[in-house]
Amino acid sequence: MNDRTRGGLLSRRNFLKRSSLIPLSGLLAQSPAIGAAARSAGFEEQVQTALIGFGPQGRDIAATLARIPEATLAAVADHYNVMLRRSQRSMPEVPVFEDYRAVLDNPDISTVFVATPTHTHRQIALDALSAGKHVYVEAPMASTIEDARAMAQAARDNPNLIFQVGLLTRSHPNYRSVFQFIRSGALGRATMARAQWHSKESWRRVSPNAEREMALNWRLDAGVSTGLVGEVGMHQLDPAFWFLGKRPAAVTGLGQIMLWDDGRKTPDTIQAIFELEDGVPLLYDATLTSSFDGAYDTYSGRDSTIMFRDHRAWMFKEVDAPLLGWEVYARKDQFYKELGIALAANATQLDAQDISPTEDDPNLETPLWYAMRDFVDNHAFGPYLPAASYEVGFEAAVIAIRANEAILQRTRLAYDDALFAI
Amino acid sequence: METIRLARRAMACRFELVLEGEDAPRLRAAGEAALREIEWLETRLSRFLPASDTSRINARAATEAVPVESWLFELLKRCRRLHDRTNGAFDLTVGPLMQAWGFYGDGGRVPDADALAEARRRTGMRLVNLDEAQRTVRFAREGVALDFGAIGKGYAVDEAIHILREAGVERAFLHGGTSTMYGLGQPADAEAWNVAIVDPGAADEPVAVVALRDEALSVSAASGKSFEFEGVCYGHVLDPRLGKPVRGAALAAAVAASAETGDAVSTALLAEARPSPEYRSLIIEPGAPRRILQNGMPLHSPVNHVATPAAPASNGHAARLNFTPA
Repeated sequence: MNDRTRGGLLSRRNFLKRSSLIPLSGLLAQSPAIGAAARSAGFEEQVQTALIGFGPQGRDIAATLARIPEATLAAVADHYNVMLRRSQRSMPEVPVFEDYRAVLDNPDISTVFVATPTHTHRQIALDALSAGKHVYVEAPMASTIEDARAMAQAARDNPNLIFQVGLLTRSHPNYRSVFQFIRSGALGRATMARAQWHSKESWRRVSPNAEREMALNWRLDAGVSTGLVGEVGMHQLDPAFWFLGKRPAAVTGLGQIMLWDDGRKTPDTIQAIFELEDGVPLLYDATLTSSFDGAYDTYSGRDSTIMFRDHRAWMFKEVDAPLLGWEVYARKDQFYKELGIALAANATQLDAQDISPTEDDPNLETPLWYAMRDFVDNHAFGPYLPAASYEVGFEAAVIAIRANEAILQRTRLAYDDALFAI
Repeated sequence: METIRLARRAMACRFELVLEGEDAPRLRAAGEAALREIEWLETRLSRFLPASDTSRINARAATEAVPVESWLFELLKRCRRLHDRTNGAFDLTVGPLMQAWGFYGDGGRVPDADALAEARRRTGMRLVNLDEAQRTVRFAREGVALDFGAIGKGYAVDEAIHILREAGVERAFLHGGTSTMYGLGQPADAEAWNVAIVDPGAADEPVAVVALRDEALSVSAASGKSFEFEGVCYGHVLDPRLGKPVRGAALAAAVAASAETGDAVSTALLAEARPSPEYRSLIIEPGAPRRILQNGMPLHSPVNHVATPAAPASNGHAARLNFTPA
């Protein structure tokens, strides 16, 4: 047990609350509007947090913290002065530090968000845990399996500290709702899954300082980047394995540089085929060369296909599928020749508020908000293992890192059980 | 010298960006970051996105003080100052009036007297309380709604230009929907970014050519999104003081140091129907024959063809921007 620090003390104080309140906190996280007062009552004091890394993701974390009343952003650390200037410009009241260790040494800070380049997560996360801080780390949690494993081990060895990985769908009400739906057999027998992410952008970053510019372009550096499949695909692949309840047995990958031939070694276009343990194939493709049809995920089965777009879900029924009953009243959206039945989460709660369950929840928050809400609630009602735990984060990292290897080698690689051992 | 052109859809219009410099991949990367900033600001400011700050404020500020981040609080404070400086012609709280006049997507209508009176009761910056110490926003009554429509593009353009400067870009031109624009530095082969302002009623000949160098230009027009009822044309720019669409000028343009100020000033000039003594500006009066009033914006006439700065035909960088409905 680690109770040298505030994080540890908080955890101990909350030990009694933990057993009785876990189900409540789980429910609370589902809606920003409902139960706000009940939730606040669970917090004995403000959660004092620090943000390490003020790139685009870090800025979103800071913005989201402003919408979580029980948490305060007490410090921002980034070793690049441009990012610190941005932080000061947007939040002059928050002190900034060049060295993240200054934040870890501050006993008033119980919690850190790590939003630095993927390959730098390991050192920061391990230092944060040894300093007794609760840790939220962006996904993928690391750029090598070895690093991810070291982090997972440290998280496991500090059960008194919360360790959550930024796999956002795990906290999102629409994904949780569809998870139940798929597990209750809505697809019939699952037969295949497919996901894409299409965007037209160079993925390059720029700085007036050449050295900084090289560091900023870590995603284009084949030596440390987990590539499109890791930095982007991770967030679409993780829910697929979660929904289908299987790991991949193997992955076959291809990658090309089709448009941004500017000296980079990382593909701007990739394809990966995952063979799940029960034989269901999962196709993933991503490109930086075309924005056509954007990003979406589909899960198909004998009776229906479920599609996610912009974190919202629709079901497309086969004509020979059994009647469910409720779909007659559900809102339907036309997608070219297909009629999608909207799957809205929180249907019963919306009904209680006199909002039609087939409408989108007007209180819907961003995916990051739900994940951070879960994380902050864990301070009052935990620590318990978060939905995006070190185990979940490690497994997702292993899958993505291995897939990136397959893509770079243009080959088929197996996932041995030993890979997933922590 | 390389030239990179980028475009992005955001804030219900098309943003276009031209960059000049030595290194094409780096220019593109800087431009992409600038356009990403605009998209990001849309997710924060749009009143049509349920998770935006504007939606959150509109939904809750009547019942509780809503905390906001510093940058947004500062933006709200500047909006209040611009409201005061334009004698109330620029007003963030036009939401209920826009709704009453049907300018949120349903084509436009003349509201009945009761609906209009109710919307006017919900309009006015005096109904918005900004608490500096707590950094919170609170509405004085139910039904007040913020709408950054008149200034959001300007703020976004300024922030995007800031990103470009930070990245070391020295020459760029950025516009959103041809109504809000900024010229960063100057093009390689001209003294300034020259922009032709066109009369929406007579698009053949530019009314004026405006030279921009580290400056913003905003153009507001009463046409664009508009509807006709019993022979009267109603435009989508509302005069919050009268509670109805402006009947002042057909078009107003203003040059300012920032696009945010330019947007607020041009919106106000449309209602005032005269150019501002403080800013390089012009207005086109409605009706025929058209009368154009200007301050510091020499008119470009076919008779006086040797205009200063260079006419668009002689300058490859002159953006001929017709004001078109978003």
